[in-house]
Amino acid sequence: METVSGGAGSPGHPVGFDPTVAIGRGLTLPNPVGVASGTFGYGFDLGALCPVDRLGAIFTKGTTLHPRPGNDPPRVAETPAGMLNAIGLQNPGVEVVRRDYAPRWRDWAVPVLVNVAGGDIAEYVAVARRLDGVAGVSGLELNISCPNVAGGLDFGIDPRPAARCVAAVRAATGLPLVVKLSPNAADVAEVARAVVGAGADAVSLVNTVVGLKVSLALGRPVLPGAGTGGLSGPAIKPIALAQVARVRRAVEVPVIGIGGIRTATDALEFMVVGADAVQVGTATFTTPRAALDVLDGCQAHAERHRLCAWRDLRWSALG
Amino acid sequence: MTPTPPAPSDIARARCATGVCLGVEGVGDDRVEVRLTCPEVAELARPGEFCQLQVGPGPVPLLRRPFSVCRADPEGGVLAFYLGVVGEGTARLAALRRGDRVGVLGPLGRGFTVPDPPATLLMVAGGLGAAPFPLLAQACHRRGVALAWLNGAASAGRLYPAERLGAPVASHCATEDGSRGARGLLTDILGPLLATADRVAACGPNRMLAQVASIVAEATPRVPLEVSLEAPMGCGFGTCLGCAVPVRAGDGARALALCCRTGPVMAAERVDWSRLLALPPAHAA
Ligand SMILES: Cc1cc2nc3c(=O)[nH]c(=O)nc-3n(C[C@H](O)[C@H](O)[C@H](O)COP(=O)(O)OP(=O)(O)OC[C@H]3O[C@@H](n4cnc5c(N)ncnc54)[C@H](O)[C@@H]3O)c2cc1C
Ligand SMILES: Cc1cc2nc3c(=O)[nH]c(=O)nc-3n(C[C@H](O)[C@H](O)[C@H](O)COP(=O)(O)O)c2cc1C
Ligand code: FES
Repeated sequence: METVSGGAGSPGHPVGFDPTVAIGRGLTLPNPVGVASGTFGYGFDLGALCPVDRLGAIFTKGTTLHPRPGNDPPRVAETPAGMLNAIGLQNPGVEVVRRDYAPRWRDWAVPVLVNVAGGDIAEYVAVARRLDGVAGVSGLELNISCPNVAGGLDFGIDPRPAARCVAAVRAATGLPLVVKLSPNAADVAEVARAVVGAGADAVSLVNTVVGLKVSLALGRPVLPGAGTGGLSGPAIKPIALAQVARVRRAVEVPVIGIGGIRTATDALEFMVVGADAVQVGTATFTTPRAALDVLDGCQAHAERHRLCAWRDLRWSALG
Repeated sequence: MTPTPPAPSDIARARCATGVCLGVEGVGDDRVEVRLTCPEVAELARPGEFCQLQVGPGPVPLLRRPFSVCRADPEGGVLAFYLGVVGEGTARLAALRRGDRVGVLGPLGRGFTVPDPPATLLMVAGGLGAAPFPLLAQACHRRGVALAWLNGAASAGRLYPAERLGAPVASHCATEDGSRGARGLLTDILGPLLATADRVAACGPNRMLAQVASIVAEATPRVPLEVSLEAPMGCGFGTCLGCAVPVRAGDGARALALCCRTGPVMAAERVDWSRLLALPPAHAA
């Protein structure tokens, strides 16, 4: 295991408490609280509003082989305790990430995992290959579950194509590989088993839930096209908790919980149902330093309850 | 005349602060000015920039709401916002009481150009689009820039009182019901006013801005126009990519720009008006 600053024995923790989280293939997160793909750009946008050095991990915006302009507006709409987005994978393309961003990540204490997206398996493989061995890139998060790209296959809802995609990417890279699961699958546990079988080092979930908001005044959905978008925020937390618990029972690899986390309590709840780490997403939009507040709260909880590891929180029924 | 362009949007200037309500003052019919003590942001805000205001503890409503900075007094540490109630968020802001705390994230975005004197700036405001002009008027006045003011609204009670701008202006107005000034839309009386202006700054509904842009585009000699656009926003600081507005790239090609970062104030010729007007109105939700 790598030695990580702020690791075992850092001030404020009971002797023997280990805040780190091992993801696999030599990647160890300094702490379990990361920021979710699409809610933190490539780590440069927020500046002093959320200093990156204490974060557990940064999962970047979904990155494709070529730059994508994204969908026509409107792209976001608020819903009760949530929001819908249909950004359409606007991103600068993997070449910019590799050439301009990765060198800047090299000196960061926080591991940066590039979220990889694509329209077909060949694109996923091409992006992964271009990031393999690039200094500054600590790992990949494979987004096989983006609901917002017109015509894009949703590999994430079916175990067989999901496994094919993961196996192909696994063969193309030696980087730690996290596979991000869709809550829109018929059976998320089956998809989880399939991608782990195909070589995933860890899984993260959930991505956004397909949703639609109607404007009665306009007599149509608020978002363009088919009108659907990805629902995120506190509204999806119970769905995410249920799916994390289900996946925890299905696989042995680390599970990263995502969905509606705003507070340390939310994050700790995910750990109770089996998450080894978490990602803070939409909450960053209202409170830019939300992830750091969540981390501080989790650490205070660990201290108060004299935990030896985050695992101590786990619901006994999950083993 | 080379006007000083506004500095590009710089997230390093934004503060995530907490303001304390000093009071909510009624302005005409159904409009209010919310005044907050918020020294960190008041000392930084420039004309045309906006703040993301937290309208409650959440999670309903979840997102912050964007509002143009109406006034910023660095000495007193006071910020003011001008708004009307259009939904839950604005209703909560209008109901604030003295001493209530409000999350203020800002200043954000790219603001208006403050011209170099000698010059006359024509400020064109439709309805709630009056919001950014007190701060712009005061900055221009301090620099010796002369000001003209064209305000349009549904009725006299919805006009923004020119004396609240805090700077001397040559004032013109239009109301849809004819209760003050010309009867009709401000665009009906804009054309002749352009002859005396070196520059135009406009804010209001996107539809109105499109008409202003087409009138200004036809004027000779050419007068530079800046518009403050609206888009639904997830974050306000360039991260969610939710606030895209259609623009024309250098070669005229279709492109998108982030309202919260490249804007909200943009040169009118940069905006792709026909695509913008084809979108459903942001507030139709
Ligand atoms: C840069 C910028 C500056 C603004 N400045 C002002 C101002 O100074 N004074 C003022 O009264 N209004 C201003 N607005 C519009 C204001 O943000 C909306 O009226 C407000 O968000 C409505 O919130 P609500 O909860 O009352 O309405 P709701 O309709 O309940 O809001 C629901 C959602 O729609 C979005 N939304 C609703 N209306 C608009 C709109 N017109 N434009 C963009 N998003 C909208 C909100 O962000 C929110 O997420 C500005 C908008 C932008 C983009
Ligand atoms: C505006 C926005 C953009 C997103 N973009 C991506 C993306 O590019 N790739 C991805 O895997 N997930 C993306 N997500 C999903 C988030 O990473 C996260 O899984 C989801 O929002 C649930 O977490 P939350 O409720 O904490 O936001 C995006 C979410 C939002 C709100
Ligand atoms: S509002 Fe999020 S990028 Fe502009």
